[in-house]
Amino acid sequence: MSIAEKIKVLIVDDQVTSRLLLGEALQQLGFKQITVAADGEQGAKIMAQQPHHLVISDFNMPKMDGLGLLQAVRTNPATKKAAFIMLTAQGDRALVTKAAALGANNVLAKPFTIEKMRAAIEAVFGALK
Amino acid sequence: MTLDAAVKRVHVIQGEYKVVTDPDVVLSTILGSCVAACMRDPVAGVGGINHFLLPGSAEAMSSGGDATRYGVHLMELLINGLLKKGARRDRLEAKIFGGAKTIARFSNVGEQNALFARRFLQDEGIPIVGESTGGEHGRKLEYWPVTGRARQYALTGVETQKTVAQEQRPVPAPKPADNSIEFF
Repeated sequence: MSIAEKIKVLIVDDQVTSRLLLGEALQQLGFKQITVAADGEQGAKIMAQQPHHLVISDFNMPKMDGLGLLQAVRTNPATKKAAFIMLTAQGDRALVTKAAALGANNVLAKPFTIEKMRAAIEAVFGALK
Repeated sequence: MTLDAAVKRVHVIQGEYKVVTDPDVVLSTILGSCVAACMRDPVAGVGGINHFLLPGSAEAMSSGGDATRYGVHLMELLINGLLKKGARRDRLEAKIFGGAKTIARFSNVGEQNALFARRFLQDEGIPIVGESTGGEHGRKLEYWPVTGRARQYALTGVETQKTVAQEQRPVPAPKPADNSIEFF
């Protein structure tokens, strides 16, 4: 079993299309255990009930944004060690600084390429294959 | 040409998007094979448009492809811009324009772009309240984002050719990797 197959990933994005695209990209990278959430609030609830190893979350979302979710994940002892990659449509330096301060592992600008996504994940988990 | 002197005209070029709340602003753009999505929240009084051209090969347009990610990105920028100015996602409505079939060798590019926009809006549950796509002539589009009024003029054959020539460099793929933000 490859590393990718063992990692449980949670995708959090308010856009259906973005969730589908990210899901497809992750499948191409070999991930099999993928859960999706439509906003930060739902993502935080899923993480609290069923911790995932890796969260890939959009920043700009209704109810709870990506930073709120990151904070919720980092303050819950059960999930605080999960890897967290933030995606953002607006390449905003201030956001990167805030995300870093809250303990994000990486911030990727949309549209990401599959290779960029792979590199960001491998920086945390090592080679996926 | 509009004769309304009070109108503030803002032109939107390929790869750009604009969001406004001023009822006197009219957003304009010129479309050959390109597609513009016009979106607004009628309650919040905010609207905007984007203007994009995705490369039309079947491979590039496959759902997991870079072109699709780029198109989704431009749609998302517009939607995020609207939400930031007070729009609510469940109130958004859209009109789509452009995607003319302008030259034989790129015959399906416009169609593919219109298809992409339609599919995106359907998937996101954003109703399409108006559409004029396809055909053989380019379009000059004017959109009043606050009222949702749209007006288009068909370009002549020569104007269409000029417009399409300028569109010849579709943004092929997402920004190069070094534009991505990354740290540690």
